[in-house]
Amino acid sequence: MRHQEKADGRVLAIVERGYRGALEKQFFDELYLATELHRQLGGLDVLLRGQAVTYALDAPPVPPLRIGNRTVDTLTDPRQGLRTLLEAGVGVWAEEPDLAALGAAGSPDRLLAGIRIAREGETASRWTDYRMVCFL
Amino acid sequence: MGAPHGSDQVTSALRLTQALLERGASVQVWTCGYATLLTQRALGPDKPRNLADWNRDYPSTAALAEELLTAFPGRLYWYGCRFCSDDRGAAEHLPQVVLRPPAGYAANVAAAGKTLLVGVI
Repeated sequence: MRHQEKADGRVLAIVERGYRGALEKQFFDELYLATELHRQLGGLDVLLRGQAVTYALDAPPVPPLRIGNRTVDTLTDPRQGLRTLLEAGVGVWAEEPDLAALGAAGSPDRLLAGIRIAREGETASRWTDYRMVCFL
Repeated sequence: MGAPHGSDQVTSALRLTQALLERGASVQVWTCGYATLLTQRALGPDKPRNLADWNRDYPSTAALAEELLTAFPGRLYWYGCRFCSDDRGAAEHLPQVVLRPPAGYAANVAAAGKTLLVGVI
């Protein structure tokens, strides 16, 4: 078990869907919400599953977008969102089967520093340890 | 164009719009369902403040639509479905946005050389 031994009243936030509108959401995405929940609820762990595990893979910054004569350089950047969460003390896990589907399960060096891999079902078995479980 | 805030289809649609306009094409955008909310005047020019980056400006979708319409006058037209807009209480749009009844959709399709449908309601 790579999680903390006891969740100690923490909240588990599960993110499965990714890429929900980079242009319209910009900073205001599910990871921004997670930061606020962490602050308000006294401690959060985040589990990335499904398409959202790609957030855990290191990649260059999101490129800017040209709209009319304007350069929009404020698109949603989930990796920056994860770094902010990690710096705030949020535990971040990415689920192994979904990483494996991308060929990334055996390459932990491809993950952002600080993100850990959760085995299938490992986190589900610990739901009872959490004060609250939410799907973001 | 279909619902925003659920996938990156609005980003894709507006990237394609920009690319087509830069190549000299004329483009009609038709918004359906929740995409009609993108051009509400109540959105103002910027999104609400980012608590983590208070002094940074983030353009609203209305500002981005207006930016496109201003940059490509006479070649970009923006339509919205009146039923969808009314059904969602989106009453005040950018002045350049033309609301049409859903029964008018086929006329817009007929006027286009090519129609690309990127999501529905």
